[in-house]
Amino acid sequence: MKKLLVFAAITLMVMANVFAGGSGETSEATADSPVTLKVANYALLESGYEDFWAGVKEGFEAKYPQYKIEWVTAPYGEILNQVINMAGGGDRVDVIFGEESWVPQLYSSGLAAPVTSIVDEAFVSDFDPAVMDVFTIDGDIYGIPLYVSPFILYYNTELFEQAGLDPANPPKTYDEMLAAAEKLSQLTDANGNKVYAFGQTTASVVVSGNALISMIYNFGGNVFTEDGQLDVDNEGFRQAFEMLQLLDEKGYNPQNAKLKDLRNLFALGQLAMYYDQSWGFNGVSSINPDAASFTASAAPLAGGNGTGEAVLCSHCFIVVDNGEARNAATNAFVQYVISEEVLNDYMTNITPAYPAKNSMADMEAVVNSGVLKGASESISNVRKVPYVSAMSDISLDLCTLAQAVTVSDTPVDEAIDAFVRSASVKL
Amino acid sequence: MRSLSKKKGDMYYAVMLTIPALVLALLFIFIPIVDSVIKSFQEYKVRNIIAGLPGEWNDFENYKNIFISGSLPTAIANTFTFVVIVILCQFILGMALALVLNSNVRFARFFRSIMMTPWVVPTVISALIWMWLFQPQYGLVKYFVQLFSGGEVTDFAMLNNPDTALMGVSIAALWKQIPLMTLLLLAGLQNVPQDILEAATIDGAGSLRKFFSITLPYLSPVVKVSISMSIIENFKQFPLFWTMTGGGPDGATTNLAILSYREAFVSMNMGSGAAVTTIWMALMIITIGVYNKLFRTQDMS
Repeated sequence: MKKLLVFAAITLMVMANVFAGGSGETSEATADSPVTLKVANYALLESGYEDFWAGVKEGFEAKYPQYKIEWVTAPYGEILNQVINMAGGGDRVDVIFGEESWVPQLYSSGLAAPVTSIVDEAFVSDFDPAVMDVFTIDGDIYGIPLYVSPFILYYNTELFEQAGLDPANPPKTYDEMLAAAEKLSQLTDANGNKVYAFGQTTASVVVSGNALISMIYNFGGNVFTEDGQLDVDNEGFRQAFEMLQLLDEKGYNPQNAKLKDLRNLFALGQLAMYYDQSWGFNGVSSINPDAASFTASAAPLAGGNGTGEAVLCSHCFIVVDNGEARNAATNAFVQYVISEEVLNDYMTNITPAYPAKNSMADMEAVVNSGVLKGASESISNVRKVPYVSAMSDISLDLCTLAQAVTVSDTPVDEAIDAFVRSASVKL
Repeated sequence: MRSLSKKKGDMYYAVMLTIPALVLALLFIFIPIVDSVIKSFQEYKVRNIIAGLPGEWNDFENYKNIFISGSLPTAIANTFTFVVIVILCQFILGMALALVLNSNVRFARFFRSIMMTPWVVPTVISALIWMWLFQPQYGLVKYFVQLFSGGEVTDFAMLNNPDTALMGVSIAALWKQIPLMTLLLLAGLQNVPQDILEAATIDGAGSLRKFFSITLPYLSPVVKVSISMSIIENFKQFPLFWTMTGGGPDGATTNLAILSYREAFVSMNMGSGAAVTTIWMALMIITIGVYNKLFRTQDMS
């Protein structure tokens, strides 16, 4: 009995020690006992980004010796599941580096915390309110962007010249684009390969769905109502898919392409124009280091009764509430990274993009970016995608709709009916 | 202390040896299956996992939704089409290769080693290799099609066409799986008694007659096991589909594995994902059951 009591006492002491180290840390962090900040970051596994993030860790830990960064990594397509599985097991990360399209999932899972509950309000208030509206659900902000970009039009100035078009006057409407495409599609590259005139991603990946929503907005169409219900019975929605069908019939758009396929073709001079997020240029220049010499950007095209509105994309931080001590570390980390000092080189050399923070508007990386200059006005012509928890799956349904009207030659009305049938049960 | 009889002792010993396997099977197979079936009838989303909240009965909503959306019949059809195509081709080609390698052809051992290479390549890598081969602008397959068609076909894009995409994934699956099928059949062929084959030869039986009347019956246990394994492997095929096509184009390669993943991990609706998985598991059990019923092995002894 005595032995049993001793055993029980030791077990209790051990368990008490184990659980005392749980997530709700409140003790003050010092350089001797630093608080560990867990940051989920897929970019560490992508070539071209490791050095920047290694520099962030080094710089942050040098500036704040009381905090240590622990990276949680997984490939882009798996990082959300990784974060959710960890949280299911009681191990919650503090910061998730992701995209604005991840916010609905993380909000509905109960993992994302309101940004202003962790990050200083004075810091958050320096952000463009129109941009922050994209991250707002039920009055609270659930993501804070490092930088933003709508889906802009990249075009190849050399191919424009070869086709007898003025590279200083890129198309502004879909009709102008079709007229230019007729000439551009006659070209071949140095190896005799076909030049595609216009690229819009339609492959079955979530980001392609976002690009399609942006194209629908170009035509002034809707996908959702303000309260997140399906709203596709409108001209703009229909016209966007009719345009995709027309582009496919004329052979202007590479079929079923992912953004990386379009970047590849653009880098090799086999694609004259295409829609991409501004940072997609990094993918282009990693294939062709001379790409800056022939790449220019323009605002998204206007179609139908639309004005060329687009979806605003961003790389952002989504924060998680893990108790006072870790929240303080999160606050310091977010403010450290989203600063001109840290992001200027990154946005100049790796990821061309537009800052979301007012005080960073005139930073060198933006003012002197030849690649971004042409599309700079487009940042003020964006529209928010309403909050829909099943956004990712509906994005894939939109890709299926685009594929139906292109590779399957399904009539647009029939394809839209199938889309509505599939998407409506997910809302 | 009373000693146990030898029979009882052996029985207890056998039970003791079986217990760890039973416990593991119970913990890691039966309980998760039952849990998944229960969740398929519940509203159970990621929030439930993170907050530790139990699921709530939702009146067959998960099952109703996957039927209403129209995605389930296509996924079932794609799954069965893929399984049938791959298994038929795999068996015919695997058997042909096994017969060649069993016929004392020169360098047979060398070919046997080389042939196993695709089998050891991880599935995702295989998928990426075949994606590049099928790439519509600069892929090797497009180049050969253009070359052999005399420039007539310039835009061959197997994975972009809903009529050929499933075939494209099937080719990648065959490339990876044929080596194992060949190896298993070859092992079976080497156990076919030579004296019976020689006796049949003396009796004037031709090659075809010997193959169908002696070789194949002796091979039947190996054939049955290898095809069962192949049915299961291809019924649950996910990485090839997800990497090569993501279920597209236009749903042409959305099988039950892709549908289940999309419901559970893209929509983050675990209940709906579990509903697809339950139907998928039931179909697999029925398929294997029917297969076992149809292909009863003969006792050749």
